[in-house]
Amino acid sequence: MLSKVTSFALVGLDGVPVTAETDINNGIPAYELVGLPDAAVKESRERVRSALKNSGRKFPLQKITVNLAPADIKKEGSAFDLAIAVGILKATGQLKADCEGIVFLGELALDGALRPATGILPLLISAKAAGYKTFIIPAGNAAEAAYIEGIEAIAAENLSAVMDHLSGLKPLSPVPVRAYERGVKGEYKFDMAYVKGQATAKRALEVAVAGGHNILLIGPPGTGKTMLARCIPGIMPDMTFEEALEVTKIHSVAGILGAGGIVDIRPFRSPHHTATTVSMCGGGTRTVKPGEISLAHHGVLFLDEMPEYHRSTLEALRQPLEDGVITVTRSGGAVTFPANFMLCASMNPCPCGNYGSADRVCTCTPAAIRKYRARVSGPLLDRIDIQVEVDTVKYEDLAGAALEENSAAVKKRVERAREVQRARFSGPLTNSDMGERELKKFCLLSRECEEILRMSFESLKLSARARSRIIKVARTIADMAESERICPEHILEAVSYRKYDNMS
Amino acid sequence: MGYTKEEKAMIWLDSFLLDYAKKAAVLKMFRDPYAAVSRFFEKEREIGAVVGEEMLEKMRASLYDAAYLQGVLSAYERAGIACVTCFSEDYPEALRAADEPPFILYCKGNLALLHERKFAIVGSRRTPPQAAKRAERIAQGLSRAFVIVTGHADGGDTAAIAGALESGRIICVLAFGFSHLSSAENGKLLERVAERGLLVTEYAPAQSARKYTFPARNRIIAGLAEGVLVVSGGEKSGTRITARYAYDFGRDVFAFPYAIGDPMGAGCNQLIKDYAKLTEDLVDITSVFGINLTEKESETLSSAEQQVYDCFGGAPLHISEIAAKTGKKEHELSPVLIMLAMKKKLVSCGGNRWAKT
Repeated sequence: MLSKVTSFALVGLDGVPVTAETDINNGIPAYELVGLPDAAVKESRERVRSALKNSGRKFPLQKITVNLAPADIKKEGSAFDLAIAVGILKATGQLKADCEGIVFLGELALDGALRPATGILPLLISAKAAGYKTFIIPAGNAAEAAYIEGIEAIAAENLSAVMDHLSGLKPLSPVPVRAYERGVKGEYKFDMAYVKGQATAKRALEVAVAGGHNILLIGPPGTGKTMLARCIPGIMPDMTFEEALEVTKIHSVAGILGAGGIVDIRPFRSPHHTATTVSMCGGGTRTVKPGEISLAHHGVLFLDEMPEYHRSTLEALRQPLEDGVITVTRSGGAVTFPANFMLCASMNPCPCGNYGSADRVCTCTPAAIRKYRARVSGPLLDRIDIQVEVDTVKYEDLAGAALEENSAAVKKRVERAREVQRARFSGPLTNSDMGERELKKFCLLSRECEEILRMSFESLKLSARARSRIIKVARTIADMAESERICPEHILEAVSYRKYDNMS
Repeated sequence: MGYTKEEKAMIWLDSFLLDYAKKAAVLKMFRDPYAAVSRFFEKEREIGAVVGEEMLEKMRASLYDAAYLQGVLSAYERAGIACVTCFSEDYPEALRAADEPPFILYCKGNLALLHERKFAIVGSRRTPPQAAKRAERIAQGLSRAFVIVTGHADGGDTAAIAGALESGRIICVLAFGFSHLSSAENGKLLERVAERGLLVTEYAPAQSARKYTFPARNRIIAGLAEGVLVVSGGEKSGTRITARYAYDFGRDVFAFPYAIGDPMGAGCNQLIKDYAKLTEDLVDITSVFGINLTEKESETLSSAEQQVYDCFGGAPLHISEIAAKTGKKEHELSPVLIMLAMKKKLVSCGGNRWAKT
């Protein structure tokens, strides 16, 4: 007898329908699995055999052929187990119910229990778009499915429960739909209130987040650069449902989704400086997995000690920084992952780290400092609008009880500035996304401002490439001050965030 | 450029990159340098004892080769190098009085500067930003009465160049020959000095920088100048060698004072203890020479700028200290501070600290 059961395979961030066709014939007992399965899929036969037996069903001692159609895409992972098991049960007549239009997803344990699979959320979204309404998924993935409206997701604990549900013996009710509550559940561990002093750096962070600018923190070791960076997600505006869904899709594919079901706090990724280009940008041998920059989508990518990263890894960031997406091409095909993140980098001011320190002496020669800074290429630095110094905090400040502003207050101001920008661009764009045309349209400079800009270039020896960066940052500062026009003090403050240019 | 036969003989002798002592020994054997060429073969053995057999062979071969000297001279001319020998009228008189005056000064740039009054400003590579800015300002002011003489390193020397380059009244004394100019740490800047001011070295073009060429170079800086200002220097800084030469040659030595224990200025403080004049501003130097150079008041300050500027004493201030003194927020201060930096009143010392120039 022949049976057909539907499942879904993951290609990049999208799901493709896969039909598990099972045929059982008389002959020498055998089990053939065809349709470009990878090792994990091939091993499913052992799991399915034991799961059926331990659920009180029979595994037929006949010739079994399972075909995963379409046969031309590579199938990966263990989420086909359930579909194959149901297919065998139907083909042997142990299950009579109609499975037409139901999508089966999940990995089987030897005792018949259903294990959660990775990438369930993007599969559900794709399947919904393809017209499928009913899904049977592992109970461990229920939280993910709860956020999708208009589908009937049945979360089952084990194979027996699936059987009982399908045959109508003990029907399971679908996972109740959960509404996304913006920014309620999410909690950030780090708060600006815990960062003592550093008023300049905090202000720079606020400006950076308000305008979507990338930021470079320059300071001696142990001055709280990492702590400051970790505060960034907490002052970013709460994610919308669409944003959260996008992030969840990526995290689901990468298999790093927590129990919450949906990622509702902005991701903060800090890959170590030994990270390879592939781990950063995404890749893999056959199917492509998202890299750190995609995992940081709608959040923060923090590069601690930026000059220590491999040059090629840093250079690879340039294109995604510009486009907000990355296309990874492998022999198995090309996949585009979203990678719209805020870059926060940190570095020491010089090789010994003490340049500009009040109490320790820098032993570096100017030539050594130039060489150290040259490790970060100009084109990459060009994409970092704000460069600010983080300095040693005095002990009195650290020990002091002075109350610092908390992240919530900063976030309010950021959200207000973002609103101004939304109104300006009539969309979710930020000031950092402005091109030459928008610059001309929205950033008219008065003659006084032009004069100041010219003066600052001359006396502070700024590079010419910094000009549009300064204007964009000045626009953000003006937005924060709710000023229609860019005033001289906005330009000057923006100039003060070009520390890297005028330090030496 | 026309050279006399003595000068040509000097250039010939110098083209073998001999040590100063060996050149002096060879020249001592003869009445005048030309005789070293004309009577070379008579004294071959003595010369050989000084320079060694291999070198003697090279020198002998060059004398048989009629095109040798012409080749050297035209190569210099193509590279824009003028040779000012100790027989030349352009040779600075003051330098003659120094120890071991160089036989030839290879020059690139405006030779007229050699005839003017000269003052040296030197500093170590590790010069704090506020001292560098102040040196730059003094160099700018002094360049109206003096040609500024300095070296070619980062830090203090670069600050002196930055101050005087615009007026073109700048001489940089190099510790290597001109062939190594483009690969030097400040190659680009030095090429601009060659365009507007003057580059000087006692080394033939092919001579590269060695450990010993730097102190030897310092004696030329001290020898050329009427006075030397040391803007920074640690316990073992080369600037102390320059100052020592200047003192020995009877020049005035000036130095910036530094805080107790500041490793960037320990050498300066030691100089002040020994013989240097404590120098804080232009007038401390001009008063010694009896000249009057008033610094032109560059720009007027707004009331907000004045309020911030008045917070500063000698030491650098952190932005939070300025905020505490003025009662303003830090981010309101940064536009004012940047403006003051553009007006050259303040300088950023790194780590969000600022100092008066």
